[in-house]
Amino acid sequence: MYFLQRTLPLLVAFVAGVIGIFTYYVPVAQPVEITTSTWYRIIAAFALFLGIHSLLQMHWRRIRRNQAGWAFSAVVYIGFIVTIALAVYNNGKGPLQPLAPGDGLDLNWMYTHVHVAGGATMFSLLAFFIASAAYRTFRARSAEAVVLLVAALLVMLGRVPIGALISEHLPEVSQWLMATPNLAARRGILLGVSLGAIATALRIIFGIERSYLGEEGQ
Amino acid sequence: MIERLLNIDRRIVYLAVFFAVCIPLLIGFELPIKATPNVRAVYDSIESLSGNPDAVVLISFDYGPSSQPELQPMALAILRHCFSRNIRVVGVTLITEAVGLAMQAFETAGEEYGRVNGTDYAFLGFKAGGPILILNMGQDLHGAFPEDIRGVATSEMPITRNLRSLKDFDYVIDLAAGFPGVDEWIAYGQERYRFPLGAGCTAVMAPDFFPFLQSRQLDGLIGGLAGAAEYEALVGKRGMAVSGMRPQSVAHMVIIGFILLGNVVYFLHRSAVRKGPAA
Amino acid sequence: MAHLLLLLVLVIAAAPAGAAETAPAAVQAFDTPNDQGHSITLTWRRREVLPDSARYRIGVSERAEGPFHHVAELDPKTTPTMADEPATFGSDDDNRNRHFALIESYRDSEGQDRIRIENGKAYFIRIGIHGGGYTVVEARARGNYFNSTKTGNFALAGLFSVLILVYIRLARRKNLYIRRLAGLDALDEALGRATEMGKPVLFVHGLQDMGSPSTIAAVNILGQVAKRTAEYDTQLRVGNRDPIVMSVSQEVVKESCIEAGRPDAFNPDNVFLAAADQFSYAAALEGLMVREKPATNLLMGYFYAESLLLAETGATTGAIQIAATDAYTQLPFFITTCDYTLMGEELYAASAYLSRDPKLLGSLKGQDLGKGIIILMLVLGSILAGFGFWPLLS
Repeated sequence: MYFLQRTLPLLVAFVAGVIGIFTYYVPVAQPVEITTSTWYRIIAAFALFLGIHSLLQMHWRRIRRNQAGWAFSAVVYIGFIVTIALAVYNNGKGPLQPLAPGDGLDLNWMYTHVHVAGGATMFSLLAFFIASAAYRTFRARSAEAVVLLVAALLVMLGRVPIGALISEHLPEVSQWLMATPNLAARRGILLGVSLGAIATALRIIFGIERSYLGEEGQ
Repeated sequence: MIERLLNIDRRIVYLAVFFAVCIPLLIGFELPIKATPNVRAVYDSIESLSGNPDAVVLISFDYGPSSQPELQPMALAILRHCFSRNIRVVGVTLITEAVGLAMQAFETAGEEYGRVNGTDYAFLGFKAGGPILILNMGQDLHGAFPEDIRGVATSEMPITRNLRSLKDFDYVIDLAAGFPGVDEWIAYGQERYRFPLGAGCTAVMAPDFFPFLQSRQLDGLIGGLAGAAEYEALVGKRGMAVSGMRPQSVAHMVIIGFILLGNVVYFLHRSAVRKGPAA
Repeated sequence: MAHLLLLLVLVIAAAPAGAAETAPAAVQAFDTPNDQGHSITLTWRRREVLPDSARYRIGVSERAEGPFHHVAELDPKTTPTMADEPATFGSDDDNRNRHFALIESYRDSEGQDRIRIENGKAYFIRIGIHGGGYTVVEARARGNYFNSTKTGNFALAGLFSVLILVYIRLARRKNLYIRRLAGLDALDEALGRATEMGKPVLFVHGLQDMGSPSTIAAVNILGQVAKRTAEYDTQLRVGNRDPIVMSVSQEVVKESCIEAGRPDAFNPDNVFLAAADQFSYAAALEGLMVREKPATNLLMGYFYAESLLLAETGATTGAIQIAATDAYTQLPFFITTCDYTLMGEELYAASAYLSRDPKLLGSLKGQDLGKGIIILMLVLGSILAGFGFWPLLS
């Protein structure tokens, strides 16, 4: 049991990590990468079943126990069953066939009129939330905050056509702010993050970091 | 009064933003749109392929319905540009949610320019694996996508028959709103297989990619709806993005107004607090 | 001098007719370096002046006498020079005067399909200018054992790896100092508050999959958080977007509960898949925040546009929020809406900070030294570039 739960995962992490590094520097070894990456894609596809199982099980328990918001869980089931049924029917062509076009209530209709509309609605909430968060927190409390505030206002104006109407230089100033100070900050964070990623990768490859197996470092 | 303004009800802010978006959609007015250098770079890269009968551009549609208001106009503008210059386009996606949007974009632009699926364009659909799929495409495109979305073999379709790897594309564009996206196309694609790469992303993600423009790992970047509007203006076919600039401009002004109001109230409150103990 | 220049311009201007009739000069063909084979690089001298209509024509044959199959027709104005690829060809001044092209396949006799270049086989490559002469050269493609363009990358990665491993070893003997991270210091207080209020703690990983260092770091933090919530007997809810991350998180929370001596505290339903789509995921978690009003929200990992939706909703429910992300563009949203925010590589340091494991702390030290080396190189490079020492830099 210990071998399956500890030794084997650590061995897999080590071998996969070494193959990744090796194929990055050794061009002739790249075919090995094709094989391992294909394995990964197959495993990733199977993992979807785990996700579906977890999702349906959790919502089923909610419905059964009449927990607060159980009606939303019922919507999950209705959405799931209707979508699967339409995908299997596939406008009369049946499952495992290329998507068949249709004009009525089909998978395309569900996608365009439910999924796309719902997703766009969620995304549009950002505009409201950004305005609210900006009003409450974007205050000139210190000299640094003033610099940030001025930069933010210039970029906001420079990124929309109305900025060019106010002053033809605003888009250029906005572009400079993005391409120079922003780039410098981003690069600084990128370098730090990359080193952090290298350190994390090494800790995992050599089995020093085992928290992802639910265990303290050894 | 100052206290009330300082802790203004969020719903008032939401209502102001709502009207700032709705009213400009109802009232039409023109705004000047000028392309920024990063958007022009993508346009120029595609423009340089016009006249080359073998040229094929790859577009990776890595965005879902949620970010389609920003990225779908971008996709349409790029497709219209390619089709108007007789450049062939192949589409793929690394995320399931993008399949319908990509198909809609190809059908719309393809019909406008009378392009034929399989000859002038092809959509290969979705495959699982995310960044790993990019590696697979670099090694063996036909292996990664044996068939297109209609079930036609990629090794037989005229447009994809001679494309064996990502290196065979004359230009690659990633339109992305999250993971997997531009970072992954740079790390697993451009960095390994050395092809010219351009990108389109949501406005909020754009600052993330400026270092890659300077290092020339990206040769151009279209950021958000504003970038899409600039591209539409360059192509000369104004669509959803250009008309979206009206509400976006007014909404920006409203948010700026709220930030300024917030600061005025903050300073009034601060001076009132300072005076308070002395009084 | 001005007369001399004028004469030179006239000579160049008079050259096209003759130049178009001669073959490209100094043609070389060789295996493309740093690849797995199936590619031959062709280089030739760039012509200063050619008529606008001039095109380089490249053909390939398996025999010296032909027939030559079409590879490409290149416009001299847009054909790259070797100076465009310094990683492969170095930074010799003469590279500006030499074009290059990669030959990976050629058209078959019918001109329909492309045939791939095979490794180890001799190919004869012909290059000519449309309407002019041509030159034929021979080359073979082969797979390479090391990508020399990545030598610098390899050296730096090797150096950083050695530094990190050395410090991990040193850490066993020495007590290493780590600066305070306010966000993590507040973690106990935030978890304690949830215990007092009898409300759950919500942990969110962000959008990326298990292959991302940000998610790995987030899962490492989850292990520590789960142990403490098990000790405090507080419910921990973990919302996932990726099924693999969900499975790993379930295992991590289960093991942490066992380690805390509370195996009964683990409920697999509390580590669940919220949704696979970005905004469906955000909507599901926002719904949970509004309905169950968790006392503490921990947003740790790599986030995209959903960051503000989650953090702003959390702020409206009155939860204590601690965020940790290396997503540069989302930092402003977390800073404005969360009580504490860990920025950039602080996310990676968090699991070491929480566990205080000397080996994990050692790797942080190695990381810091690596950063010092990069800063030193940047400063040195800037000084050299500023004083115009370009040859030294290149």
